[in-house]
Amino acid sequence: MRKRSALAAMLIAALVLAAAAAASGVHSTGPTKLTIWVGWSAGHELTSFQKLIDEYNRTHTNVSVKVVGGIDDNKIVAAIRSGTAPDVVSSFNSYNVGNYCGSGGWIDLSSLMKKDSIPSSLFPKATWYYTGYAGKHCALPLLADVYGLYYNKKLFKAAGITSPPKTMSELAADAKKLTVRDKSGKIKIAGFDPSIGFYENTPERWIQAYGGKWIDSKGHSLIGKDPAWAKWAKWQKSLVDWFGYSNLVRYQAQPIDEFTPSQAFETGKLAMNFDGEWRVAFIHNEHPSLDYGTAPMPVDDAHPELYGSGYINGTIIGIPRGVKHLTESWALVKYLTTNNHFLAQFSNMIRNVPTTKASLDSKEITPDSHFKTFLTIFANPKSGTSPIMASGQAYTNSVQDFFQQWQAGKVKDLNGGLKKLASQLDAQVAQAGGGGGVP
Amino acid sequence: MNGAAVDTAGASVPAVPLRTRARRRADWRRRRLVLLLMSPWIVGFSVFFAYPLVMSAYLSFNHYDLLSPPRWVGWANYHYLFNVDPLVWEAVRNTVVWMVLIAVPCQVLFAFGAALLVARAKSGAGVFRTIFYLPALAPPVAATLGFVYILNPATGPVNTALSHLGITGPLWFNSPQWAKPSLILLSLWGIGNTMVIFLAAVLDVPQHLYESAELDGAGPLQRLRYVTLPTVSPVILFAVVLGVIQGLQYFTQAFVAASIASGQASQAGDTFSGLGYPNHSTLFYPVLLYQHGFTDFQMGYASAMAMLLLVVSFAVTLVIVLNSRKWVHQAVPR
Amino acid sequence: MTSAAATTPFVRRRLPAHVRRKRFLLAVAQHSVLIAVALAFLAPFVFIVLTSLMTTNQALSSDLWPHPFRLQNFADVFSKAPLARWTFNTFVYSCLATIGVVVSSVPVAYALARMRWRGRDAAFIVVLIALMLPPQVSVVPLYVMWAKLHLIGTLWPLIIPNWFGDAFTIFLLRQFFLTIPEEYLDAARVDGCGELRILFTVVTRLAKPAIAAVALFSFLYTFNDFFLPLLYVGENSHNWVLSLGLAQFRSAHQVQWNLTMAATVLVMSPVIILFFLAQRAFVEGVTLTGVKG
Repeated sequence: MRKRSALAAMLIAALVLAAAAAASGVHSTGPTKLTIWVGWSAGHELTSFQKLIDEYNRTHTNVSVKVVGGIDDNKIVAAIRSGTAPDVVSSFNSYNVGNYCGSGGWIDLSSLMKKDSIPSSLFPKATWYYTGYAGKHCALPLLADVYGLYYNKKLFKAAGITSPPKTMSELAADAKKLTVRDKSGKIKIAGFDPSIGFYENTPERWIQAYGGKWIDSKGHSLIGKDPAWAKWAKWQKSLVDWFGYSNLVRYQAQPIDEFTPSQAFETGKLAMNFDGEWRVAFIHNEHPSLDYGTAPMPVDDAHPELYGSGYINGTIIGIPRGVKHLTESWALVKYLTTNNHFLAQFSNMIRNVPTTKASLDSKEITPDSHFKTFLTIFANPKSGTSPIMASGQAYTNSVQDFFQQWQAGKVKDLNGGLKKLASQLDAQVAQAGGGGGVP
Repeated sequence: MNGAAVDTAGASVPAVPLRTRARRRADWRRRRLVLLLMSPWIVGFSVFFAYPLVMSAYLSFNHYDLLSPPRWVGWANYHYLFNVDPLVWEAVRNTVVWMVLIAVPCQVLFAFGAALLVARAKSGAGVFRTIFYLPALAPPVAATLGFVYILNPATGPVNTALSHLGITGPLWFNSPQWAKPSLILLSLWGIGNTMVIFLAAVLDVPQHLYESAELDGAGPLQRLRYVTLPTVSPVILFAVVLGVIQGLQYFTQAFVAASIASGQASQAGDTFSGLGYPNHSTLFYPVLLYQHGFTDFQMGYASAMAMLLLVVSFAVTLVIVLNSRKWVHQAVPR
Repeated sequence: MTSAAATTPFVRRRLPAHVRRKRFLLAVAQHSVLIAVALAFLAPFVFIVLTSLMTTNQALSSDLWPHPFRLQNFADVFSKAPLARWTFNTFVYSCLATIGVVVSSVPVAYALARMRWRGRDAAFIVVLIALMLPPQVSVVPLYVMWAKLHLIGTLWPLIIPNWFGDAFTIFLLRQFFLTIPEEYLDAARVDGCGELRILFTVVTRLAKPAIAAVALFSFLYTFNDFFLPLLYVGENSHNWVLSLGLAQFRSAHQVQWNLTMAATVLVMSPVIILFFLAQRAFVEGVTLTGVKG
């Protein structure tokens, strides 16, 4: 009896091993197979990228590129650590560039760029900043993101508002005017949702409007010293308290998921929204009849000169360590980041900002009044991005954590809390072993 | 192999066994057999228990992101752990206070109460037992998903039902105050295993003990206190120890609930996964460890956290086991 | 209640009315509480199943009853996610791990229970200590080890450790082996059986219920495992197990709660079906752990 079950176990094990061997694939000759990991997963974004890659495969017969979507940084890190990384990787934001460059997880592309005479001046300044760290340039920008204000024109007309708000006090006033509650006090239509953590509301995107500084020349956090942070925090909390924090949580718990057709702004449940330029494409695909407008984000009343600028970040692309086909991988990366025709086409499809100076001015970009706002914001010299720090994503996460505690009323002493946050951020960076560059 | 000592000639000899060659060979054969039988565990213990412990201790003094070689930092990780990290003590509190000190007694009491009720039921006891046991079979991820849906503050059935009664339901998994109670509620739903064990133990209490107690004039509560509880106490201890061990490792339900409840406002490609949502109320120690080690490139620091977890686990289990003698009635052999 | 002499009929003395009423009310109260709690335990299942039959829009509203019934959801789940692949992976993991656990733990438990050797009790205490260790303590170095062996992303880091003994299983089996009367083993020894043969034939046959119980628990534990698969296989969606796939299902199909609930029902069903088929083994097994533990 035992012998039989042992035999059965061995058979099963053998079968599984055979299956695993078969699944790992037989090595064949022919076009070099490359795999590229991207973050896009929602509807039109991934299919657009796939379409353009199909075209690449057609015109470059020596390679066959496979696209894997829905990737996040966790997966990238896990794959590099275990030596199973693909040929090209891309991430939706630059927060971890410090770690990728510093550890050599993504290879330094500087020598490859020099060999192919690709100067850094090809790329807009902000995008060049957030793709390198400590002298190593381990990534390149692949379309950028810029943030601004979306507003529902129909709801504006109904509330008697003629133009989008330009300052924070106007924004708060308009938000209050546009909010509709039902009889039990629950929010039916929110004029604006200032909650940190909701949709694209994160501190690094907001602080741009106050001209807040992140770090000094030595890389130490200025969050405790720069008054812009406290000013913004107070504005934000007063608006949150006007709505009622738990009312907002209840409002957000509805099925209004961000990357689906039920998104609150697209379905008229949110009158104004702070969002990225890609939303234009989503609205075009999902709710083309929506009567809306786009404008730069309102700014601090004390700094009207900042109006027209915004926060910049974007998708980055690089080559992981241990890549097997460096030449072909680099050719693909070069194409995706410097081929102006590709950049213009892709930008048209998913309405992201092209990331070479040439493609920004390209005639191939189909004009769109909504999208044009974001191109203008991107070109504004006062627009900026957040610093690349050695602690990577943890840096921005810690800041976000603090403000989420703050908006929930858990922080009693704002200035003291900000000072403590600053020293924690510095300790975090020191622990991660390094500094960061001022953007 | 015991038995009276017998020499090779077969004659009876005094009790001191002679270490004859045959005997030594038998001993050696026996030891070899023991080694053979124990070998899987010896290898497993060395590779999957001892080695990681030693390695964890070593890594805790390094900065290690697994992308570049470990870099010695001495006590820096521990300094950060005890003095700087703003989230560690919240995580410790969440795990030790909520999942151990609060959740375990709730679970044990609830399971025991349910077992008593089912034991009392004469008709359909089997049906009730099945009903209580089924949720324990549900995979934790599935159960968590179900509960997050049911307790959705805006459209979930529970809040809808409450609103019909005129009560505004709490925000459950979206509320910092209610997130942990919601998780404990979820764990109570899965109490089936413990309940069945308690049920068997309660039913096993010898009837004559109840009868003699009744004769002595004991009411139902006193019978519970002086007959049932002492007899069942070893099983209660077992459930408590198991509950504590599970509480210290609590990860899956918190992870899934936080990602789902917060996931309403994030994209599949975003790195900020919302662990601990909302406002760190569901940030348990193993979750924080996972975040530091596998999301934040800080395996050295995560190892330091692991060392702390080890110490705490030992201490807690030791405390329980040592104190158990005070209130666990040593079972009378049947 | 002592009875009179055999000839006189036994007279049941009626309890005073107020005592009878009190007992009756108590019984009613206990039964009502029991029924209420049982209903509360069933309610989540009911909600989940009802939602899995709703249309997408209805699942987002506060409606409780599907109108119309949409069985199509279950088919949709299969087309939207590689559920079959995940199920296959889960079964591979669970089956291989369970077989490994049983095969490797039985000899160890036997050595700890029925053989006498120096250090046996110390070894048992070490097993107990291993039982109390949270997996998070050893996870970082183990991950590093598997990464260096290039096995991250496969199921092997999950399966292999189970072939080297499992502390809980060893503990349970040892407790059970202790209860086997020595006479059985002596009879076999007298017949000339070597220790190994005794183990393989006599002991395993006697311990069948215990072995079935630990196999069942191993299977359940690995089937429901989330943390270790998240760690080792999380980055390779081709090798995901059901628990991983279900957790990520919602992020990929955010608004479609009806599909998520349908997927949840599908993931819950194998174990529940197994339970109804092997009810006695389950209950006996659970009882065994409690009584012997």
